[in-house]
Amino acid sequence: MKKHAFLPNRLFIFPAFCAAVLFTHCSRDMDSIDGPNLIDRFGPFAVVSELEISRDTVDFGAGETVAFNAQFNKSVDWVVSITGAESGAVKRIEGFSSLVNSENATWIGGTTDLPFFRIERCTVELTVTEEDAFINTGEVEIASTRVYPGLLLTDFEANPGTNIRVRNFQFEFNLAETGRLNSSVIPPAQGEFSLVLTGSDNAQDPFVGLVEVYSLLTGSTYLQLPSLVPQNIFFNCFLYSDGRPNAIAIIQLVIDSNNNGTFEDGTDATYQPADIVAVTWTGWKPYSLTLANFGIPEADMGRILLARVLLINDRVNNPIPPDEIQYGIDFITFTQGQPLTL
Amino acid sequence: MQKIFHLLVFTAILLAGIVPVRAQDGGSKESEKADDGQRVRFNGLGRAYLLNTEIDGNVLDGDTATTREITDGSFLLDLKINATPNDKTEVQAILRLRNEFGGFFGAGQTVEVRELWARGIIADRLKYRVGDMDLAMTEYTFFLPPEEGSANLAAAFLPQQDVIYYENFYTDENTRRIQGGQLDFGLNFTDVLDEADFSGFFARTRGTDFFTTPSRYVTGGHTKFSTKTLIDTIGLRGDFGFNIVHTFDDLKSGDANSGIRNTVWSADYDFTVFERPRYAIHIQGEAGRSDLISKTDSSTLYESDDWFTDIGIGLDLKQQKLKLLLSYVNIGPDFFSMGAQSRRVDYQAEKTYYDRVGNDAGVRQTSLFDITRDPAVYTFRMSDRLMNYDPRYSNTLPYGRATANRQGLRFTAQYGKNTDVINADLAVHALGEIRGQGTAELKRFILIRPSANLNIHQLLDWKKTLRFTVGYQFEQTTRDGVQVEQVDLTSNLIDLGMEAELFPRFEILAGFKYLNSKGSDYIPQIVQFNIVRDLPSRSTYDDQETLLAAGVKYQFKKGVYLTLQYQAYNFERSGDGLPDYGLNQIFALYTMYF
Repeated sequence: MKKHAFLPNRLFIFPAFCAAVLFTHCSRDMDSIDGPNLIDRFGPFAVVSELEISRDTVDFGAGETVAFNAQFNKSVDWVVSITGAESGAVKRIEGFSSLVNSENATWIGGTTDLPFFRIERCTVELTVTEEDAFINTGEVEIASTRVYPGLLLTDFEANPGTNIRVRNFQFEFNLAETGRLNSSVIPPAQGEFSLVLTGSDNAQDPFVGLVEVYSLLTGSTYLQLPSLVPQNIFFNCFLYSDGRPNAIAIIQLVIDSNNNGTFEDGTDATYQPADIVAVTWTGWKPYSLTLANFGIPEADMGRILLARVLLINDRVNNPIPPDEIQYGIDFITFTQGQPLTL
Repeated sequence: MQKIFHLLVFTAILLAGIVPVRAQDGGSKESEKADDGQRVRFNGLGRAYLLNTEIDGNVLDGDTATTREITDGSFLLDLKINATPNDKTEVQAILRLRNEFGGFFGAGQTVEVRELWARGIIADRLKYRVGDMDLAMTEYTFFLPPEEGSANLAAAFLPQQDVIYYENFYTDENTRRIQGGQLDFGLNFTDVLDEADFSGFFARTRGTDFFTTPSRYVTGGHTKFSTKTLIDTIGLRGDFGFNIVHTFDDLKSGDANSGIRNTVWSADYDFTVFERPRYAIHIQGEAGRSDLISKTDSSTLYESDDWFTDIGIGLDLKQQKLKLLLSYVNIGPDFFSMGAQSRRVDYQAEKTYYDRVGNDAGVRQTSLFDITRDPAVYTFRMSDRLMNYDPRYSNTLPYGRATANRQGLRFTAQYGKNTDVINADLAVHALGEIRGQGTAELKRFILIRPSANLNIHQLLDWKKTLRFTVGYQFEQTTRDGVQVEQVDLTSNLIDLGMEAELFPRFEILAGFKYLNSKGSDYIPQIVQFNIVRDLPSRSTYDDQETLLAAGVKYQFKKGVYLTLQYQAYNFERSGDGLPDYGLNQIFALYTMYF
């Protein structure tokens, strides 16, 4: 009896121990798997559902989008490529999944490889990187192009009149290939026209010539920027080269220092980025930087009268006699908060 | 918060029930005490090891670079200097003098300190040790799991195993060699508990390079409690303990700014729930959890935790000399214990002989032959990622019992003692994954390993030894699913051995190892902790290895012997187009423990 009475005290140790042991056990992640999925890695490829395009005609200008749908039996690296029949513009949407749908494959009208899309018919191709033989195709018609955000200074489509002026001070421009030109000289990045500067540096200084692009193109004497903080405003444009060497692009912004509404060379202040751009690549490239990079003080942000586009020769590599140098510029915009996103 | 609470519980248990203290012996071993009483003693090991190895086979076709025959060896003397300046203090150093075979006039000679420690007793209560020490706790917290590639190693291979074990500080207790300090003390209790042992340690396992690698420390301890018999009628009593191991990097050492924290704690137990003179029933096992954090000074890079449990019921048939244990184990996929999962065999280590062979100098795969003879492929160090393994040798438990992502049943049986006519062991593991690798389908593992020693001399009452040993291991891994997910790998390992004492202390030794493996599996690529980064393409096996050893051994006295052996190894494989090869070895090994 005495032993029995004492038992509960003595045996407390076992439940206490069991409680301590059970205390270690808690939930565990059982949903995931370790490592990559073997079927994705090594399994045979099959198409569960073919490419479907959510609409035949899309009005990007009205905010419409196009979704692409397809399904595979495993996760693969897929690519949806949209190519404009007239512009040659290309938009690529890429992903790694078994499902292609509106969450990962929606086109809002942007482009990956310039130029911009136009109002045109586009071909759509769905390919899989690991499966060379697989391709699904389709078509979509663009009823109106995407409206990009920001303040457009000019896309060179409308006749600018005197608001774009070619300054051939040293008679070094090739005027036949300088100014607002259509696609017969350079295929534009957007629309039908772009600004082209072509010339040869025959003088003793590297300067060839410049083109003035006035803010009046926007309907105002000064650019009506959405913010007057230089760090928040991005200057954006596209620059073109056909691969020939020695061309340097300098873009300046001119402030109406004396507030008389007209440009007076030598009186009005000019700002330009510290870094020059050697335009020696082939094709169009986006170019963006903040107005703070131009060095414009905040007080002058509301008085931007014009932009000047200069053609400069890289004299270090200048052959004798000098070769003709050239570059193009298109779609000059000012955006707030971030560079222009294609 | 949860971790802090765990530590508080652990500390409370550690400090519970302080009653009269039981003194412990912290001095020299009994055998050393019985020495001649000198305060400075000299012991140690002398070894002369000479080997001649030849390589042949298809791997040498068109190969003009590989040396066909290598003769090598070494002579070494480990001089153990043990001093007891007083009866409470003992210090020991082992100085190693080593000379390569063929090294003369200083070339190839080395002198190094192999071991250095001091130990003693403070106030007849507290046992301490500083310097080098060998430590093991439980199989899930701090433990060096045994190497693979053996089901019951024949006596012919034991001299080489002895070299491997000695060089890597391996002991029969599965300890790891670390360097630091240790404190132990014991308590006696008057009621419920009979006695308790407490032990704590702190060690540095890695130094900093002052740039990217921080110093690494491991600390921890355990408490062991034994109860009195709580119910005399059924013999109810229990042994249980609590263990904690914490491995951490010191981010204040050098310029390193990232490191790890790995904490493992557990409770182990062996409760005798029913005992009679003829048999006893036990409930035994261990349960615990691990936490792993990889962090910088200011942020956490990776974090995981998981738990494990191992619970079994054992039957001890005393008269029949038979012990049976059936256990259920569940070790979580994210369970990470550096101190218990770091392996002995390092498959990335450079082998001493023929590490690269063939015309293109390709790395030779570590084989049974290397595992049997080469200390260079072994390590005692802790790894902060799960080390590579070869599924042909061990796929069920490549990291010992602490292998993560396993659940199922384990059955073990032990029969007899070493001095009986026959003694045998059986281990059966029927396990499966908890979380799939690369698929939701789970692998299933079957591991069956019976072994037996036949002491014929006991049966026939001979004075000279005649012993046969046999061991077999069957291992199968399967996984269902679509074709790309399916896994089916089977391996068979056979160990045979014979010791025949022709003349007093003169033995003939023979040993045979055979392994075949067939099938395929995916081997996970792990670059950090236990994270599977990739599953490279399927590994396909259809190969077999044979290793035959024959020789003689003369034992001058216990611990002093000379053995001369010939060993022939053959590696044949088909299916993957890699060439076969063979290795033949003659060696003489003289070992003297003094």
